[in-house]
Amino acid sequence: MAEKQLACSGRAAAYQKAWFAQLREDVFETGKPYAIVQADMPLELFHAMDIPVVSNQWWAAMVAAKRLAPYYLDGLNALGYHDGLCRYCSLSLASSIAGDPKQAPWGGLPKPALLSARLTCDCIQRVFETWADKLGAPFVPLDAPAASELPPRWWELSRHRWNELFEGHRLDFMVAQFHSLIGALENITGRTFDVERLRALMEGVNQQEQYFEEVREMICLAPKTPIRMHEQVSNVMAAQWLRGSDWAIAHARSFRDEVKERVGSGIAACPSERLRLMWVGAGLWHDTDFYTAFEERYGAVFVWSMYLAFGPDGYIRYGLDDPLRALASRTVSFNEQLHNPPWANEWIVDQAKKHRIDAALVLEPLGSRPSATGNLFIERALEAAGVPVLPIVADMVDARGWNGVEMRLKVSQFLEALSSTAGRDRA
Amino acid sequence: MASAISALSRVYEERAIQQRDLPLVGVTSNTAPWELLRAAGLHPILLSPRGPHAHRPNVYMEDGFAARIRAIFHFLISAESSPLSAVIIPRTSEQEHKLYLYLREVIRQGTERAPEPVLYNLLHARSREAEVYGLERTHDLKVTLERLTGRPVEPQALSSAIAEGNAARQAIRELLRLREGAHPKLHGSEALALIGAWYFMDHSEYAVVAREAVREIQKRPPLEGPRILIKGSPQDVPDSCAAVEAHGAIVVSEDDWWGSRAAGQDIDTTMDPVRAIFEKYYFDTPSLRVFPAAIADAWFHQNASQVDGVIFWLPDEDDVIGWDYPRLRAFLDERAIPHLMVRDGTSDEIGAFVERLHG
Repeated sequence: MAEKQLACSGRAAAYQKAWFAQLREDVFETGKPYAIVQADMPLELFHAMDIPVVSNQWWAAMVAAKRLAPYYLDGLNALGYHDGLCRYCSLSLASSIAGDPKQAPWGGLPKPALLSARLTCDCIQRVFETWADKLGAPFVPLDAPAASELPPRWWELSRHRWNELFEGHRLDFMVAQFHSLIGALENITGRTFDVERLRALMEGVNQQEQYFEEVREMICLAPKTPIRMHEQVSNVMAAQWLRGSDWAIAHARSFRDEVKERVGSGIAACPSERLRLMWVGAGLWHDTDFYTAFEERYGAVFVWSMYLAFGPDGYIRYGLDDPLRALASRTVSFNEQLHNPPWANEWIVDQAKKHRIDAALVLEPLGSRPSATGNLFIERALEAAGVPVLPIVADMVDARGWNGVEMRLKVSQFLEALSSTAGRDRA
Repeated sequence: MASAISALSRVYEERAIQQRDLPLVGVTSNTAPWELLRAAGLHPILLSPRGPHAHRPNVYMEDGFAARIRAIFHFLISAESSPLSAVIIPRTSEQEHKLYLYLREVIRQGTERAPEPVLYNLLHARSREAEVYGLERTHDLKVTLERLTGRPVEPQALSSAIAEGNAARQAIRELLRLREGAHPKLHGSEALALIGAWYFMDHSEYAVVAREAVREIQKRPPLEGPRILIKGSPQDVPDSCAAVEAHGAIVVSEDDWWGSRAAGQDIDTTMDPVRAIFEKYYFDTPSLRVFPAAIADAWFHQNASQVDGVIFWLPDEDDVIGWDYPRLRAFLDERAIPHLMVRDGTSDEIGAFVERLHG
C-alpha cells in the first residue's frame, strides 16, 4: 500500500477503527441501537438521535480493501443470487449472510436496530429487505421520486437556492418521509427528536464542508497537487460518515491545516507531477495502490475524485430556518448530481477545468450496472472539453474479474500516447 | 377475412406507430395511465420497438440498460418517432427515469431530436406518503396533458375512457380464463400476443376483437402437457414461452405485465375518476418497484400452486428479479412445486425439466 503522506490520514484511520470497536462494544454489552443505512441517506437524522450509523458503501469498501469480496460474493452466488446482480450495494449484505460473518473486517457487523435506504435503483429495496429479514431487524425505506427539472449548473444554486433547485413537491415528500423515519428512531431510542439539535448539526456540516472547499481550492491553485487522491478520500469520508460532529469538524480543520502547510512549504504529493488525472466514479476499493502506480514513470497523479469535490457543492446548505427541508434538499438528488445528465457531466467538466485536468479515467462498473449510468455523457462532455478519457471496466469492490497488471499496462499505454501528444504540442 | 386471432397477433408483431385521428403519444410501461391520456384526447401507444432499434451502437446508453429500454431510446431519437407528440415515462423503474433524463439531455444538447418526454412520477412503495404523492402527481399529469392538447380533460371524457379501458380488461380476463384449469386451450406464446396487442391499439377496438378471439379459441380442443408459470424479466417478446413450449409444455401464466397480469381488476367507476385511475395504477398494476415484497409476491404465491412447474427466466440483462429468486425458490420448495432457473435459455435444461414434469 502506498505511504501516507499526511499525519491526519493516520489519525482518521485510527479513529474509524476505534469508533467501530466502540460501536461493537456498545451493541454487544449495552444493547445500544445502531443502524445500517445506504450512503445517500440523511445520516444527520440518526446523528441527531445519537444513533450511530454504518454506511453500506463504507462497509463494502472495507470488505473489499481487506480482499474479502471474492469470498463473500462467491458465497452470495452460492445462495442463489446470480452473478449479474449489483455487487457494490450487496457486498455488505453478503458479509452478513454468506460465509462466516466473523471473518469480516474488525469482527464484522453486529445486529442493527434498524436498516434504512432510499429506494433509488430497483435492487435497493430487495437488498435491504433481504438483509433486514435475515438479521431480524426492521427496514425503513425512503421512496425516491425522480428529478424532472434539472438546471445544468446545479452547483451554483445548491447552497442558497436549494428550495427551488430540487422541486418543491420532492422536498415536501421527503420531509413527510423524514417524519416517519424520525418516528421509527424515536421508538428505538425512547427519546424525542430535537429540531434544534438537527439545526446545530447542519451548521456543523456547513463548517466542515467549508474546510473541504478550502482544500479543494488549494488543489486547484497550487502548482502541483499537495495531496494524493486516495488520501483526500480517506480523510474526507472518515469525516463525512460522522458529518457535523465535533470530531468530524475538527478533523476537517486539521486536514485543511495540514494541506495548507504543505502548500505553504511548496510540498507536492508527487514532485515530478506532469499529468493531472481525474478519477470518475466510485473508488477502486480492492486495489487502491492503482492510484499511485503511474507517478514514478509518467508523473501522472490522480488529483480529483468526487469524494472531496462533492463535499462543498453537494452538502453546504445556507438558510437553515427549516433544517428538515434543507436536509431533504441535500438528500433527494445525490444520484442525479453524481451520475446522471445533465448534472453529472456539467459538474465534472467544470471540475476538470478548475483542477487543470489532463486526462480522465472513468470507471465502468459492469458488475454494479446501475452505477455506470451517465458515463457516456460524462465521457463525451470531457472529450468535448479537451480532456482525453480512458474507460476502466472494473468493479469497485469485486476483484474477481480484475487483472491489475493488465489494467496498469492499459493505462500506461494511454499515458504514453498522452505524453507523446503533449510533447508534440509543446514542440 | 382474417381471424380475430391473427388480427391481434399481427398488431402485436408489428407494433406499428401510425397516424390516427387523435394525436399519438408514446408510453413506456403499463403504468402510464391510459385512461387519462385517452380522456385528454390522445391516442396512447406502448413503445416496444423490435428490429434495428434494439441493435444500434450505444452512443448514449451504457451496456447496463435493458435491450428494451435501449430500443425505445433509439426509436425515439430516430425519424420514425415523428408521429408522436410526446412520450409519457412513468417512474416505474430506475431505467425509465434514466431514459427520461437521457432524452432530455440529447434534446438540450441539440444532438438529437425526440418527442417531448413527460415524466409521470408514480411511486410504487406502499406508504401513506407515496399514495398522497402519487395522487398529486396524477393531477399534475392531467394539467400537463391539458397543456399539451390545449383543452381541458372533461369528467365525461374520463368516464368514457375508463369504460373503454375496463371493457378491454374484461376481454383480457376472458382470454385468461382459457388458460386456467387442467386443460387450457391457449399456448403461452399465443396468449402473450393476444393480450399484448392491447398495448398497441384502441382499447374499445381491442375489446371487440379480443372477444371474437375468445370465441374462436373456445372451439379448440384442450391442450395437453405440463402447465408452466414463468417468472422473470418482462416478456416483451414470446421467446421464453416458445422455448418452453417447444418441449411440449404449456405456459399458462406469467408473473408479468405483458401476460397474465396485464389487466388486473377494473377501474372503480364509483369514485372520483382521477383518483380511481391513480388507485388502479398504484394498487393494481405490477412494477419492479412494488414494495414490500409481501405485496409484490402476492400474485406469485397465489398462482404458483395452480401449475405443474415454475420457470424463472433471468437472462443476462437481469439485475433486479434475481434478488427475488432465492426467496421465491424457497416458497416453492416448501410446497414441493418443481422449478427451474434459466439464464441463457439452453434448450437441454428446459427439455429435461419438462421431461421430469411429464414423468
